[in-house]
This record gives sequence, C-alpha cells and structure tokens, in this order.
Amino acid sequence: MTPIQMTFSTMFLLGLMGLTFHRTHLLSALLCLESMMLSLFLATSLWALQLSTINIATVPMLLLAFSACEASSGLALLVATARTHGSDHMQNLNLLQC
Amino acid sequence: MSYLVCVLLFRLMVGSVGVASNPSPYFAAMGLVMESGVGCGVLICFGGSFLPLVFFLIYLGGMMVVFAFSAALSAEPYPYGWGNRSVKMYVAAYVLGVGCAWKVLLGKWSGFWGGILDESGELLVLRGGMMGVAAMHDVGGWMLVLGGLGLLLTLFVVLELVRGVSRGGLRTV
Repeated sequence: MTPIQMTFSTMFLLGLMGLTFHRTHLLSALLCLESMMLSLFLATSLWALQLSTINIATVPMLLLAFSACEASSGLALLVATARTHGSDHMQNLNLLQC
Repeated sequence: MSYLVCVLLFRLMVGSVGVASNPSPYFAAMGLVMESGVGCGVLICFGGSFLPLVFFLIYLGGMMVVFAFSAALSAEPYPYGWGNRSVKMYVAAYVLGVGCAWKVLLGKWSGFWGGILDESGELLVLRGGMMGVAAMHDVGGWMLVLGGLGLLLTLFVVLELVRGVSRGGLRTV
C-alpha cells in the first residue's frame, strides 16, 4: 500500500472508531464524523490528481456540499439537545434505554 | 519534497489521533483545524491548485468556524485536554494500533513518497483540478442543481429541528 493511501485509510478508520466508542459530548462525535469526511475529501481529490482523471474532481466538490448539509443537520440536533437537556452529554440521551 | 510529504502525512495522523481520542470538543476542533490545514498542504504537494483552496475556504473557513463556536454548547469548567489520563489511554491505544498497522502494511515501502506527477512536463496556469471543477458546471450541471436543492432542503430541515414552542425537535421549550 502506498503511504498516502495508508494515511487516508487510517484516518477514516480512526474517525470511525472515535465515532463508535463511548464519549462524553455529542459534539466530539460530530467532529469525528467531520474527520471521516476530511479523509474522504482527501481520498477523492488525490484520485483526481494522481491518476489525472480530471472529471473525478467534481466528486470532492459535491462531497463537500453534502457533507456541509450533514454537518449542519448534526449541529441542529446538538442545539436541540442542548436546549432540552441543558447540555450535550451523551449519557442524558437515554429515553429509549431499557 | 518527499520529506515534506512525509511530515505532512505524519501530522495528518497526529491530528486524526487527537480528534478520535475523546478530548473535550475545544481541543478536538483544534486537532481538526490542524488536520485540514495539513490536508490542504498534501493536496498542494500532489499538484492541485483549486481543490486545496476550496478545502481551506469552505471546510476550514466555513464548517470548522461553525463547529468552533458551537463548542460553546459543550462548555464545561475543566475541559479534558490530551494530558488527562483517560484521553492519554485512548491516545496510546490508537498510536499503538496505527503503528502496528503501518509496520505490517508499509514496512517494506522503500519507494516513492510523493511528488508532482504531471503529463505535460512544464508549468501551466490552469491545472487539472480546476478543469475538473469546471466540468461540474459544464456537463455536471444537473448534479449542481441537485446539490443546490439539497442545501436548500437542509436549510428547512435545520429550521424545523430547532423550532420550539409548537412543533419540531424541542420538547416544551
């Protein structure tokens, strides 16, 4: 595996593990999601640049647009959580817990 | 040049470990800012001109700024930095995992780390990345319209999520 492929694959996996494991704040889960998006942007941009397939350069732009949609929805959920529960601690989101 | 790429890739990994190791969101946002700055540098090293600029402006200057001031919603009197014990354990575990993966998969890599691969062999003003983004406006016009409609939809989604009083995502507030 080339170093740059190894880097963005590991970045994606680290972000995924950070998103999955237990954490205190909802916002740090959203930031791990953003680091996954960052690694995907890097991967698709490097695809366009290294292989000289120029039309693929549209993919990172559209990925960034839809990732902005997702980040804003996540932040709206964060605001809703902070307004109902008073903080964004994940342990307060336990209404569906048995 | 390959040393610069090596250093930038290392800083990407450091930023990623720093975000994933569960510190307080203030510090995780700082790690993400460093990651995006360094990611822009990596794209420049591999020959892009427009895509790293888009990355810097939109991702770092748009989305990260919003995350940074949203960190005020997760304010706490004693935020956990990377020196805290529980965060340090996560950092150690991730660094160990990444180190083992690199040793196994990349241990015998003695080749090319990075440099600008180009077909023309001369300095050009309009490079490949910019031409690709121009194609988004040309043949990819419908995808652009779809992206715009998606962003408009997201605006309404966000407005409905934070609407209080009578309907929406907030209870009784």
